[in-house]
Amino acid sequence: MIEIGSFIKLQRTKQEMTLGELSEGIVSVSYLSKIENQKTQASPEIIQLLCNRLGIEVDNSQEEAIKETCKQWYSMLFEVNNKEEIIATYKKIQEMMDRNLSDSLMMFEIHKVRYYLILGEYDEALKKINELNEVSSTFDNLQQFYWYKFRGNYSTLKDSEYYQSMRMYKMAEEKINQIDVSEEEVADLNYIIAVTQSKLRNTLETIEYANKALNVFMKQYNFIRCAQCHNVLGISYRRIKLYDKAIKNFNLALHLGKLNKNRQLIQLTNQNLGYLYSSKGEPVEAIKYYKEIIFDTEVSLVERLASVSSLVREYYNIEDYEEAKKSIKYGLELIDQFNDIKPYKIFYYVIHTYNYLLSERFTDFENMVVKNFIPYLKKHKDYASIIIYAELIAKYYEQLYKYKDAAKYYKEANFAYEQITNI
Amino acid sequence: MKKFLAGLSLGILLIGGFAFVQETNPVELSMDREPSILKAYSTTVQF
Repeated sequence: MIEIGSFIKLQRTKQEMTLGELSEGIVSVSYLSKIENQKTQASPEIIQLLCNRLGIEVDNSQEEAIKETCKQWYSMLFEVNNKEEIIATYKKIQEMMDRNLSDSLMMFEIHKVRYYLILGEYDEALKKINELNEVSSTFDNLQQFYWYKFRGNYSTLKDSEYYQSMRMYKMAEEKINQIDVSEEEVADLNYIIAVTQSKLRNTLETIEYANKALNVFMKQYNFIRCAQCHNVLGISYRRIKLYDKAIKNFNLALHLGKLNKNRQLIQLTNQNLGYLYSSKGEPVEAIKYYKEIIFDTEVSLVERLASVSSLVREYYNIEDYEEAKKSIKYGLELIDQFNDIKPYKIFYYVIHTYNYLLSERFTDFENMVVKNFIPYLKKHKDYASIIIYAELIAKYYEQLYKYKDAAKYYKEANFAYEQITNI
Repeated sequence: MKKFLAGLSLGILLIGGFAFVQETNPVELSMDREPSILKAYSTTVQF
């Protein structure tokens, strides 16, 4: 049952009303505050008056319909669905919620965080988080489970704050034993924990959680989700240099992706296979996989750009500068197609780094790497890339006999390496 | 120019020698692409 105090507070803040505006002529401001914070129980008459002022009917005749529609909408937020359908159902529920005092309201409000994240409206998601934060102390265990989960999602998607995400997911995980959620829901949490651990390069934890999720998805014949888990496992096995196991997982992911004709998943796997061969020191094989992706218009622009960035570096490393230049040209064309390159700035930096080097614009190269690229990587705690580009600029300084600067960046690279290996 | 570029690329290839004191494999780059945490059909945009 939704607490009436939380409901009133939520509706009041949503309508941007002050305590004074809502309470005027009905109760005192301090009494309303007590009602909202559930420190007192108001009479039904007072509740009715407050709801009238908020324009809400205290009526639960539509409760079942609301519950059912919410259930459908929640599942839409987890599976493959088109955005139009998600938005239409959202509007339908919102209309019902505006007219009724429903038990489902708080859960609906919590799911809005996920809804805004799916739509890429991160500011709205943050606004909703802040709004809900005011009433979060009243959440029951199930509500807390989603609250923590979606806040974790937000930290990952908006800020790439994986440590913060992990804290949230762990709190959601602690709730599992106290609530009644489906096996699939638990598997989804295990999967996102695996992905987050992978971002944090906690390889053993990644494998543990990905396997837990995989076991459930396999039982449910959810092949797409299985393929996602195989990708995460493949990345982990590559990192600990168990290449055969990594390749086996990537091949399984490819097979499942092809079975489902899922181009995004196929090309994601090709990217990871390309990178596997790159890190194994087999550039020809790596290039073969990257080239599969770059002209595939069925996959998103960002995926193609990621592959072009990898390709540029691969050609550069094997000193095929002509091919590197061609890939840079294509990469720059792709960058031009973005409305907002900010979330994908790393590719911009990678491509421009090599572009400046190959076109002998060394001052631009130095300025960008020192002033923009390395600070950007530090901000995002992308230690693996810091090793690469700090080393690159250090070598550059060494060539110019600027040994002090060179030493500075070798130190940066060393520090980044220590972060990765947790020395 | 070519010498400089070759020097730089050698630098990259030798990161293993620099960073991995006892290993000869090239260093990891952050070019792994984890799948999305949000949906089953798309991929993450950040890494």
